[in-house]
Amino acid sequence: MPQRAILWPLEDNRIPREIFTDPDLFRTEMDAVFTGQVWVLVGHEAELPNTGDYKTIAIGSVPVIVVRGAQGRVSVLVNACAHRGTRLVEGPAGNVQRGGFRCIYHMWTYDTDGHLIAVSLPEDFPAEFRKEDYGLPRARVETYRGAIFATFSDETPPLREYLAELTDGLDRVLGEGDLRYLGSIKVVFHTNWKLYVENIYDGYHVTALHTGFQVVRLRSHGGERLVPNYERNGHLWGRSRSTPVEQLTPALRDMSLFDTRTKPTTDHNMMVVFPSGVVTDYFDTIQLRYVAPLALDRTLIEFTFFGRASDSEEILHHRLRQGPQVLGPAGAITLEDAAALERVQLSAVARGENVVLKGTAKRFPPYRHVDEAPIRHFYHAYRRLMGQANAVQEPGDADGAR
Amino acid sequence: MLTERVDASARRQAALDLLTRYVRVVDDARRIGEWPDLFAQEAEYIVVTRENHERGLPVAVVRDDSKDRIADRVTVIREFWGAGGRPEDRHYNEPWPRHVVGPVWAELAASDDVAVGAHFVVYQTVQITESPRLLAIGEYQDIVTFADGEPRFRAKKVILDTPVLQDVFVYPL
Repeated sequence: MPQRAILWPLEDNRIPREIFTDPDLFRTEMDAVFTGQVWVLVGHEAELPNTGDYKTIAIGSVPVIVVRGAQGRVSVLVNACAHRGTRLVEGPAGNVQRGGFRCIYHMWTYDTDGHLIAVSLPEDFPAEFRKEDYGLPRARVETYRGAIFATFSDETPPLREYLAELTDGLDRVLGEGDLRYLGSIKVVFHTNWKLYVENIYDGYHVTALHTGFQVVRLRSHGGERLVPNYERNGHLWGRSRSTPVEQLTPALRDMSLFDTRTKPTTDHNMMVVFPSGVVTDYFDTIQLRYVAPLALDRTLIEFTFFGRASDSEEILHHRLRQGPQVLGPAGAITLEDAAALERVQLSAVARGENVVLKGTAKRFPPYRHVDEAPIRHFYHAYRRLMGQANAVQEPGDADGAR
Repeated sequence: MLTERVDASARRQAALDLLTRYVRVVDDARRIGEWPDLFAQEAEYIVVTRENHERGLPVAVVRDDSKDRIADRVTVIREFWGAGGRPEDRHYNEPWPRHVVGPVWAELAASDDVAVGAHFVVYQTVQITESPRLLAIGEYQDIVTFADGEPRFRAKKVILDTPVLQDVFVYPL
C-alpha cells in the first residue's frame, strides 16, 4: 500500500501534527533519518574505560553494542546474531570476557570487531559456508573529544565536517576528553522523538514553562541560539549566562541546585548534535543524552552524567547532588518538559499545525536565546533526510549546490 | 533516657508503623507537607537504580542527603511543580500515586536503630490518560532511629529494579 504523503505547509514555521501520529512515517524515519546521513551520538569513551567494556543502545530502532576492543578501538555492532537474529547481549552494560560475544541459540561467537570467530558443529553446512561472510553489521565510528558517534551510511561526511562550528561548543563541555563517567539514568518520555529534540531548540518555553526558574528568579542575562551547519543538518548550540546563585531568591534551603562552581562565569551550553544527541554543561552538570525512539509516542532518554578527571572530591560530590536533581527523571526542570511534551503528543491527533513564531522575523542564525525560531532548522534538516525538503528556499538549498 | 524504656519489640513495631505512616503520607498529595517530619534531623532519602547500585556508579535518581534537601522536595512539589501553588493554575499532570508495600521485614541493629526493608510497587493514576501506570518497582532499605523516643527515618534508600524508569516523577517513592 503506498504511503500517504504528509502535506507540509509552504511556510516553514508550520509543522503538521500528523508527523507525530503517523505510524507509517515513524518506520520511514527510523530508516531515512537514523540510518541515513547522520552521526548519532551513542556514548562517551569514559563509559568504556577497559578493553572488552560494552554498553547497549539503539540507533533509531536498530539495537547496537558499543564495545571497546583490543587496541582500545571502539566498535558499534548490530546486536543481532548473523545466523537467526538472536539478541546477542542483554542488559545495559558489561565486559565481554575473552571468547567474545557468544549467541545462546547456536553458540555462534563474535569478536569485538564483529567477526564471526566460531560456530558450533559446522559439519553438514553448505560447502561454500565461510565465517568471513557472517560478521555482525557494523556502523562507521568516529569520536570527537571522547564522544562516540556512529553512522550506518557510507555517504555521511566525516564527523568534523558534520559537526562544523558546533565543535566550538563541544570543546567547552567535553574538554580534552578527560571526562569521568558517573552513571546514567534512563526514562521513557511519553512523546514523539521529534518533540523531545525540538524542545531543546526552543528558547521560548524556558521562562514560560519552567516555574522553578521563575520562583528563584533565575534569568538569562544574554546569550544566543546558534544553529551550526544549518544549511545541512542544523545542530543547536544554545548559550546563556544565568543569574548567579547569590542573586537568586533563596526559595530552597539548599540552593546548590542552581550553583555554578566549576566555571569562571555562569555560562551554560546546551547543544543538540542532530538528530538525537544532547550535550550540555548546565550549571555544573556535565551531561550527554542519547535519544532512542521506541514508538510514535514513546521515546527513551538516557541521561548520562560526567565529572572531570581533575575534580576534587568536593566538586564531584556537588556534581552528583546537582545533576539528576535538575536534569533527570526526577529533575525539577526535566519534569516540566516531560509534562508539556506529553500534552503536545496527546493532542497531536487533533491534526492541524503547530506554529513557530518567536524570533522568526530572522531567517538565519544567530537567534536570541529566548527565540523558538531555531526549531525551523531542525525540521529543514529532518525534511531533507525524509526527501520532503521545503519549497521555501533556504540559502543551502538554493540550487542544491552546497 | 526515653530510648531505653522503648523495648525491642516496641521499637520494631514503631518502625513498621512509621513505614505505614510514610505510605499514607506519600500517597496523599494533600499531606505531602508532613513528609519531612518522618525523617530525623540527620537524614537522607536516596533513590537509585539497581543498575548503578550494583555497578558502583554513584549517580542517584534522587539524592536528598540532608534534612534541608528533604524539606526542599516539598517546596519543589508545591511551588515549582504546582505552578505557584494555585490549584487553578496547575498546568501539570497531577498524579495520584498508590503504593503497595510488602513483604516487610525489620531487624534490630546493635544500636537502638531498626533496619526496615520492604518490597514495593507504585502505581500512578494520572489525569492525562485513562490507564494507571506502573511507575516504580523495587525495594526499600531503611534505617529507623529513635532520637527522642519517636521513630524517624535516618536513611531511606529506594532501589529501583528497572533500569528504565517508565515516567518522570516528583512525589517521593
